[in-house]
Amino acid sequence: MAADDAPESEEDQDVGAESDDASRRTFLNLGTGVLAAAAAATVVAPAAVYLTAPLRRGPAGEGGFIPTFDRTMFPSGEPVKVELVADQVDGWNAIHDVAIGAAWVVALEGELLALSTVCPHLGCAIDFDPGEGKFKCPCHASAFALDGTVEFGPSPRPLDRLDVRVEDRLVSIRYERFKTGIETKEPV
Amino acid sequence: MSTRWGAWLEDRARLTTFWRWFADEPVPGGARLRYVFGSVLVYLFMQQVVLGILLATYYSPSASDAWASTAYLNDQIEAGWFLRGLHSYGSSAMVIVLVLHALQVIVSGAYRRPRELTWLTGLGMGAIVLAFAFTGYLLPWDQKGYWATQVATSIIGNIPLGESIQHFLQGGAEYGNLTLTRFFAIHVFVLPFGLGGLLVAHLALFRVHGVTPPIRPTDAELQRKSQPFVPYQLFIDVCAMVLTGAVLVFVTFSTHGAELFAPAQPSSNFVARPEWYFLSLFQLLHYLRGPLQLVGTVVIPGSIAIFLLALPWVDRARERGLRHRWPILVVVGGLFSGVIALTAVSMVADANDELYQKGLAEAQAQAEEARRLALAGISPMGGAAVFENDPRFHARQLFERNCQACHEISGVGGGAEGPSLAGYASRDWLAGMIRNPKADQYFGLSKHDEMDAYPTKSLSDADLRALVEYLMSHGVADGGPVDAELAARGKAVFEDDQNCSMCHEVEPGESGGGPNLHEYATRAWVTRVIEDPSQADLYGPSAQMPKYVDKLEKQEIELLAEFIVGQRTPAE
Repeated sequence: MAADDAPESEEDQDVGAESDDASRRTFLNLGTGVLAAAAAATVVAPAAVYLTAPLRRGPAGEGGFIPTFDRTMFPSGEPVKVELVADQVDGWNAIHDVAIGAAWVVALEGELLALSTVCPHLGCAIDFDPGEGKFKCPCHASAFALDGTVEFGPSPRPLDRLDVRVEDRLVSIRYERFKTGIETKEPV
Repeated sequence: MSTRWGAWLEDRARLTTFWRWFADEPVPGGARLRYVFGSVLVYLFMQQVVLGILLATYYSPSASDAWASTAYLNDQIEAGWFLRGLHSYGSSAMVIVLVLHALQVIVSGAYRRPRELTWLTGLGMGAIVLAFAFTGYLLPWDQKGYWATQVATSIIGNIPLGESIQHFLQGGAEYGNLTLTRFFAIHVFVLPFGLGGLLVAHLALFRVHGVTPPIRPTDAELQRKSQPFVPYQLFIDVCAMVLTGAVLVFVTFSTHGAELFAPAQPSSNFVARPEWYFLSLFQLLHYLRGPLQLVGTVVIPGSIAIFLLALPWVDRARERGLRHRWPILVVVGGLFSGVIALTAVSMVADANDELYQKGLAEAQAQAEEARRLALAGISPMGGAAVFENDPRFHARQLFERNCQACHEISGVGGGAEGPSLAGYASRDWLAGMIRNPKADQYFGLSKHDEMDAYPTKSLSDADLRALVEYLMSHGVADGGPVDAELAARGKAVFEDDQNCSMCHEVEPGESGGGPNLHEYATRAWVTRVIEDPSQADLYGPSAQMPKYVDKLEKQEIELLAEFIVGQRTPAE
């Protein structure tokens, strides 16, 4: 073995032994690297799959229609805020009857509109100003007409309409979340 | 390019200088296999840290969430079982390699002057590894961790002044949210920082004094055979790490990850055992009872700890050679054998203990059930609420609220009015009922007294068996096997010999003096009885049991019927 007869100083070493030792070192260095990489990979590879698992889950609430109130609860031209209560799966929990979101419901010329309370700009909760008869975002002062169109401020699109259904006078709303900050209405 | 960057970095961070200092550490006498244990421990610790962080991305340390989140990450997150398995078995691997490292240090006398502080920091890390195992065992909040840790904290509570320590550790007199947050904080913050700090000191001291070389060769010989740490020793170290990692992966795969028992239930009982490396202490307590318990919990472990701490000073031998230090080696060997013997005794005792094996099998079945139910999500009430996902749980609750006052089932309730539903509609139940319908466990306590008893003198055992088989063929068997020949004989008994058909119709819809036996005691029939037993083809207007058609939902009634029919043992 080269190490056994390693001389005191490099000058004394003959060329053959030196290259022999060098190639041995190269092999050991390479082997060390490969083995260490293999050991790391046994954790890193499954970790990548594990950490990204939530990204492969479907959208949280591919929900059906959520029953709210009787049709007569929504007088013409006066928005009413409705809490939407449904079952929710949150990680390991299955929760019954929790508020998963809210909607402003407004009857306009006989038609019932349900507008998401999530501001299309950056996701703040939209409020209603009865004095001006406008929806207003408390964060960046976007203002919306009763039908949801933008009247003022930075919101890139009107308030998001949710699907409404009226059966036997019972008003049901399908809750959905949309991407914020863009001009088009796209589900999250 | 690379050299320019290298030079730039070297100017600012001295990385190359540092690397040379690390890599060129001389190993006197050359690289050796027996030096690998320290490196393998560093590797295992690093891996445990990474795995622990990964687990923490899904785990939630609260009494209501701990089990649910552990079951979720283990059973529903891809590769979760694998990473959790590696972390769990990794702790066992650390204990094993730690012992090997300590034995190698003791045999080679590496604890001796001037390396006393290296030895003490090593012992400190050993204690921390055990504390890691102890705190980590509880975190899943499953039956195993909960009960085993209860035993351990009770032991702490029994030592003098221990009660305050126990309550401080578990955040009060009882286990709960605070126990978990404390154990979690200790496990993921206190211990890792403690171990990390001691490790830096340990390695620094190691670099000061160097490796303890073999005894025999002369110093000149050792110098001549000296090799740099990189690549010679490091290569061997990495091989040992990979071997250790491969064993861990193999064990994790072959067991499909670490065990997870059912959620902790303070009201249940469980065959609690500590992790295998604490079994010797556990076994010791079988022998040392009453006032002697302190000997097992404090005196013996304390003496061993003091002996190990004092080892560099206890060892007065002038030379490091084995011949000079045999008393030390005899004591250590004796202790080690004692630990192994006690562990073996404990394992053998459990393997031969039928009660323990039965308890374990039940616990494993319950664990499987709980984890299957957990896939549907668990109510925020927490871990043990997982059993509410079981339809039978609702059925049992419905039964308790609506039926149990009159009907006995599995030894609970009843004692009044209605027939016992234990083993309902099994062959034995039917035979017993026909023999004596007025017995207390049948209709004896109710108003229904029209049916005669059929003692042996009027109905032979053979005829009774045939009659029961005939009833089974009418639906009671619910699709189970029926002896057709026997049933045909039973038909004759029913219609002619005993004239049962005088009161009981068997064609659907027709009514007689007694209930129509078409589909008798099937799920559908029981559903109708619960809905309204006073229907003409059932018990008629004189039915004593109330109607439930207006009190319960259709779905609930069906669930109850299923539950009642399910009282029949599967073999029937």
